[in-house]
Amino acid sequence: MLTTGSKLLIGSAVLATIAAIVYGIDQGGAIGTVGLASAAAALSFLAGVNLLTRDANVFADDENVIDSCEAADPAPGNSIWPMAFALGAVVLCVGLVTYPAVFIVGIVLLLAAGAEWMTQAWAEQASHEAAHNSEVRSRIANPLEFPLAAAIGVGIVVFAFSRIMLWLEKVGTVVAFGVLAGIIVIVAFLFAYRGGLRSRTAIGAIGVAVVGLVAGGAAAGLDGERDIHPHETTAELADEGICEDPEETEADHNAAQSVGATAAVAAELTLSESGELTFEVNGPIPAGATALTLPSSNLNNVLFHNESSEDRRLSVDFGTKTVTHDGEDEVVANQICTTLVEDGGVQNMFVEVGLPSSTNPGGYFFFVPGVDTATLELVVP
Amino acid sequence: MSNSRSEMASLRSTTTFSKMRRKLPIGIVAGLGLLAAGCAQDAPQDTFDPAGENAQKIQDLQVPVFILAGVVGVIVLGVVGFVLVRYRDRGQAIPEQSHGNPALEIVLTILPALILIGVAIPTVGTLMALDETDDTECIINVTGQQWWWEVDYPVQDGCGSGISEVIVTSGQMVIPTGTNVLVRGTSRDVIHSWWIPRLNGKRDMVPGRVHHVRLQADEPGIYAGQCTEFCGLSHANMRMEVIAMEPDDFEIWKQGQTADYVAPAEGTLAAEGESTFIAQCSGCHQVNGLTDSDGDPVIAKPATAVYSGATPNLSWLMTRNTFAGASFNLLTPECRADVWDAPPETVGEKYLEGVSPECLNSVELREWLRDAPAKKPMYASGALEDTNGLTRGMPDLGLSEDQIDQIVAYLLERQ
Repeated sequence: MLTTGSKLLIGSAVLATIAAIVYGIDQGGAIGTVGLASAAAALSFLAGVNLLTRDANVFADDENVIDSCEAADPAPGNSIWPMAFALGAVVLCVGLVTYPAVFIVGIVLLLAAGAEWMTQAWAEQASHEAAHNSEVRSRIANPLEFPLAAAIGVGIVVFAFSRIMLWLEKVGTVVAFGVLAGIIVIVAFLFAYRGGLRSRTAIGAIGVAVVGLVAGGAAAGLDGERDIHPHETTAELADEGICEDPEETEADHNAAQSVGATAAVAAELTLSESGELTFEVNGPIPAGATALTLPSSNLNNVLFHNESSEDRRLSVDFGTKTVTHDGEDEVVANQICTTLVEDGGVQNMFVEVGLPSSTNPGGYFFFVPGVDTATLELVVP
Repeated sequence: MSNSRSEMASLRSTTTFSKMRRKLPIGIVAGLGLLAAGCAQDAPQDTFDPAGENAQKIQDLQVPVFILAGVVGVIVLGVVGFVLVRYRDRGQAIPEQSHGNPALEIVLTILPALILIGVAIPTVGTLMALDETDDTECIINVTGQQWWWEVDYPVQDGCGSGISEVIVTSGQMVIPTGTNVLVRGTSRDVIHSWWIPRLNGKRDMVPGRVHHVRLQADEPGIYAGQCTEFCGLSHANMRMEVIAMEPDDFEIWKQGQTADYVAPAEGTLAAEGESTFIAQCSGCHQVNGLTDSDGDPVIAKPATAVYSGATPNLSWLMTRNTFAGASFNLLTPECRADVWDAPPETVGEKYLEGVSPECLNSVELREWLRDAPAKKPMYASGALEDTNGLTRGMPDLGLSEDQIDQIVAYLLERQ
């Protein structure tokens, strides 16, 4: 007969061995493989010692006595927690050499299985009556287990839901879940008005729906998300060297929804229908000012309002800069810009300049590519 | 037995009261001493001494509110004191207990409400008046950073005859008298607060936001202020001054701030100082018009060395009276008093004289150049790790005494 401790150690050793093999084949990392193999060897050794000493329990070998005598205390009942605990330990070790997420799952499993194991062991010593012990355990553990299980269940459903949403096309998402919501309302309506409906039927229907949702989520998650158009940053656009280009990149039709559009701004620049670029600041503009003044080395929040009839972007020209490509210096335009903004749209741009505008021979200036009349001097003291 | 306990309580109460009465004179003297400690004859940051229209509006509000609050405070404290003494425990029987007095409670609710309404109406009116910007005649930008204020004058038709070229200075803001100045402020790092008590209330300067404060000085003078939002190690050393001068003097000041750079004469100590400045200081500090030996403009790049990304522009350092965030005077105490104590009609003239070699407070300037962090605490040990090696202020450059002499000679010509 294998003792409880031996079962734990043998299980751990087997899992560590499997993990070492899987890791060695899949990841090919020598250190991780050696670590897991070492863990498997160490656990095997401990399992052997434990088998030899029979858990250091002199009565463990005396099976006849145990079988024929009435126990002073009831024997522990069957439990999956030692195995779950061992699994958690192995997952934790695997996580150490693979991914942080696996490590976290291992810790959670280890702690949960340990807590359950201890609670069960404690409850089994409460009395000689198994039914009473089971009730004690439930009274202690259920207030924690039920909310946690519910949270995990809801989390799985929500996660599956989000995977499906991200897998479907944008319009398809709206349609699919509009239909789904309609079905839920109709079914709920039927449940409410069909008083004779048995709870088993309702549970069955909900169960099928949840299983379908989780299965769909798993399939969608494996297939990956739909192509999502990235919101390019001004820095990325500048790196692509397209700040002077009035076309080509996709207009950001949600630009006006950006948080920056409602945040505190240093200035608001407006491109009018006539192609004029004007500016406003918080408070009065200096009389006679033809240039916008912004402090250096400061994160200036500038809003661009496109009131022309075409998609336009706002760019800022800081002169030139030297970049290194393949070990060679190259002088390129030093510009930043917004993405193309739709007619009537607003987009935010952060303007942070380290050097005064007087350091650039041509100064700094805002401009709108494709609209020659839309320029505005930027003065940085 | 009961009588005996009552007598003992009465005796104990009387004894305690006698002790308190003996200590009363000490308490009165201590209180008056504390009150007297708040008095000062020459208090440059006296909020009860307004020197401009906006500060006067605040004064017109705060004085009646203080009086009203004082009367209420005296009444409340007087009633509390009377009750404490008159009804103190002398072993007397517990009086009859009652619950609620509707008439009294209504009066005690309505009366404070009326007082608060009476305070709120002029308060809101004053706030709205102080927020008025339609009559702005001059716009000046201030930008706070640890631990100094940058001041720049954007190109505009206002500020007297107009400003055709951006003026950048620090620590001291120069304004024309009788002019509605709108200060547009922000911050490069943490929240600071701009406050010139004799000219207006305080206004927080917040990173990413632009806040306004109106200034207007009736008479020429120097008006002191300091940051009033805790902003780090040297918050107490983050000072500023507003110099109000007659419009004609202000025009002269503007011309001086946009004048062309004049290099030191060859062979002088200042000329050596120029080279030393380029080698040691120009990486962070801008001097407009300064060129290197090849004739190329020398451009400061403070963002590569300083956490805030900015340092004071030293083009016309010696036209100012202070340095290092207005923490230290560029003038000796005698010369500074000569400017500060000058009658209003000559303040502008005195200020425009700048810093002469005789008036230069070379002791503190040299100490600053020798080891700036020792002179003004700027960052705690190990703090550079949090800022990627960038300093929060001027570091110790390890200058030699000769280099310090050269730089002082060079800076002395920056006027």
